[in-house]
Amino acid sequence: MATELTTTNLKTDEMIINMGPQHPATHGVLRLILKLDGEIVRHVEPVIGHLHRAQEWQGQNRTLFQYQALIDRVDYLSGMFTSLAFAHACEQIDGCEVPPRAQYLRALVCEMNRISSHLLWLGTFLIDLGALFGFPFYPFREREKLLDLFEEIAGQRMMFNYIRIGGVIRDPKPTWFEKVRKFTQEFPDRIDEYEAIVTQNPIVLKRTKDVGILDKQVAFDYGVSGPSLRGSGVNYDLRKVRPYGIYPDLNFDVPLGQNKGDTWDRYMCRILEMRQSNELIKQCLDKMPEGEILGKKQIAGLRIKAGEGFSAIESPRGVLGCYVISNGSDKAYRIKWRNPSFCNLAVLPSLLIGRPISDIMAIFGSIDVILPDVDR
Amino acid sequence: MLTNSNELFKFSRLIIVWLSIIFISVWAACYLFGFLIPHIILSMGSGDVFNFAAQLFQYLTPVIAILVFIPINAMFMVLVERRGLALFTVRMGPNRVGPDGLLQTAADAVKLLFKEDIIPTGADGLLFTLAPIIFFAPSIFGSIPLLAAITGNSDWFAITNLPTGIFFMVAASSVPVVGIVMGGWASNNKYSLVGGLRSAAQAISYEIPLVLSLLTICYLSQSLNVIEISDRQTGGFLNWNIFGGGALSGLDKYLAAVINGSENAGEILKMYYPQNSILTVIAVIALIFATVTAFFMYLTAACAEVNRIPFDLPEAESELVSGYNTEYSGIKFAIFFLAEFTNLFIVASIASVMFLGAGSSPIPQFVVDYVLTHVPAVSGLLNQLTALLSPLMNQFYILNPATFWSVFWMVIKTYSLVLFAVLVRGTLPRFKIDQLMDFSWKRLIPISLLVFFIAILSKGVFFTNV
Repeated sequence: MATELTTTNLKTDEMIINMGPQHPATHGVLRLILKLDGEIVRHVEPVIGHLHRAQEWQGQNRTLFQYQALIDRVDYLSGMFTSLAFAHACEQIDGCEVPPRAQYLRALVCEMNRISSHLLWLGTFLIDLGALFGFPFYPFREREKLLDLFEEIAGQRMMFNYIRIGGVIRDPKPTWFEKVRKFTQEFPDRIDEYEAIVTQNPIVLKRTKDVGILDKQVAFDYGVSGPSLRGSGVNYDLRKVRPYGIYPDLNFDVPLGQNKGDTWDRYMCRILEMRQSNELIKQCLDKMPEGEILGKKQIAGLRIKAGEGFSAIESPRGVLGCYVISNGSDKAYRIKWRNPSFCNLAVLPSLLIGRPISDIMAIFGSIDVILPDVDR
Repeated sequence: MLTNSNELFKFSRLIIVWLSIIFISVWAACYLFGFLIPHIILSMGSGDVFNFAAQLFQYLTPVIAILVFIPINAMFMVLVERRGLALFTVRMGPNRVGPDGLLQTAADAVKLLFKEDIIPTGADGLLFTLAPIIFFAPSIFGSIPLLAAITGNSDWFAITNLPTGIFFMVAASSVPVVGIVMGGWASNNKYSLVGGLRSAAQAISYEIPLVLSLLTICYLSQSLNVIEISDRQTGGFLNWNIFGGGALSGLDKYLAAVINGSENAGEILKMYYPQNSILTVIAVIALIFATVTAFFMYLTAACAEVNRIPFDLPEAESELVSGYNTEYSGIKFAIFFLAEFTNLFIVASIASVMFLGAGSSPIPQFVVDYVLTHVPAVSGLLNQLTALLSPLMNQFYILNPATFWSVFWMVIKTYSLVLFAVLVRGTLPRFKIDQLMDFSWKRLIPISLLVFFIAILSKGVFFTNV
């Protein structure tokens, strides 16, 4: 009975864990096939497609007017952006004029939507770090106010259907602008509040610093965009690089990650972006012109000219592209989405290899993937 | 700025209502078994048989008290946790079942009892069933020595007076991890397995600082008996173990002597601090530092011991679904849940007994004496109250003042610590497993050894006469 129990004759094996699609922390229905050596991840394979709703196909089989109501669901946390990308592409084909007031309203609601999306991200990111019941709910307080404001102009809280081809559908009342201004005045204080709890929290720092370092070159190779890319220090923001709408008239700087592209940098980048968006909202409110809001009549048989157009905008998650081919009928001939989450998710395995299980969710949370946006 | 004062009011009301429910029911059970039934038996006749039967019921009292207390208390704590977290996070919390959500957890308990009890395919049925029992049992027998300390050594609970009480409790508190590992292993689920193994590693690491910090107090109190430890701390907050483990009790006596205008105040000071020099001051400060550090280390290690955030790695929801209890449902899950909250309560009450003076009032005795002698209105009122209540106390055992005040302060202290744990849960994210290990082995254990050393040095060298 003198068998020695040493590491040489102790049989160890890699364990395969199927994380998701029903895992509480995979932001919906992502499935990760993990090979674990103890707690260390040796291999990752993301399996996507559980939330595939054939958004592109639906766009080709519904009229443009109908499809406008559907595209908010491509990325349900930033509906304004998906609407905007589609509207831009169609306007490019049609050549219809977008009145300046509509342009400003679009920028205004988009920046508000960027804040609401980042707020939800902040909450879920903290849940991913394991703060299950505490401050994750604070951001929802502000998000609630934003959703109420959206409800007032669009009639809906998440699926807005507000930005249409040729402009926006409703002109807000003057009181609405007052409410938005009030929000922008309160909001920096709230961000300070979150930062006071989170940013210098020693456990958060331990969990995020030097975790999931995204190299610039790797980020380029995978086509990562948005705050995840800017967290690595790359100054690439379509609002600056390829300005659209009224962004050339607005005055702002793009916040960049200061460190080396780790999880904390991406977190910080989004926090700064929220402050930035708040300033942009203020500028939009100040410069808001009077006039028409819709350059194209919204009827059930809405048609655009034949042709093809591509638009790319800076959504909260990165570069959101929409490619539309129209043959002049009331349906689009072909629609293709370039979704930021899809490309950002591709970089996940290279970040996870060699990290412990606990880091999976911290890293996954920090690149802010929305599964409907991945699967469409 | 308090914007939700209405919610705060509802929260306090909830606490008061539930605490009354808990303690009235526990008192009723104790009264029944410790007093009423034995008296009825004895009134039926005399002789060895009747004496034996009466004594048997009296001996059962502590067990009955705990069995009544644990489920109701766990329900209350779950509700407090949910409502408390809601309060911290600007939400409403459960407020539908019963008046203002008071019965929410009772409804949850009933629901869990009637749910299907599933044993997953490929699971080891025996171990799977045994795990919640092993997890839960220590919280019953481990909390028994506490009873005497909590109730001011009431004669109902005299049987629970163990000479090595704290040792027994610490030993009992290390058993549940066996249940966790067992449940994780038997579940035939990889998440459960990882959770169970994490729990084992964590429990082993964090028991050492936990015990070392308690050992400091045991050394300063020169006893392992919880009743002796709590008796040493009576007479105001200056005597509590958290403030130097009795290092300030000389000051307490001195202040009392000064206030009473006694002439031998200086002698008292001399008696308690024989080496009347700057070194004594340093030693007292070192002792207070050591015990305060030990207290916070105990809280940290206890948080890890009962798997609370930020140390809830065994059930890390965002990583391991629900860790070791992923596969459990129905009554077995309810037992896990029950034991978890009971363990939290037990570590909180150990902290109160060991550090915060158990059932003793925080108001210094000399202040009480001074008020009673110099403010006639208060003492008159007290006398009237005593006269009014004394028939009740004497004849029906209803309000034994010593027990009542002891339990009263104990409840306040323990639930303050529980609420502190809720606040921590609402504030901090989770550690990683390697950071957790580092924190224990590289920080907590060296510091706790250092604290122990400082305590021995200060006490042994400078307080030899005490």
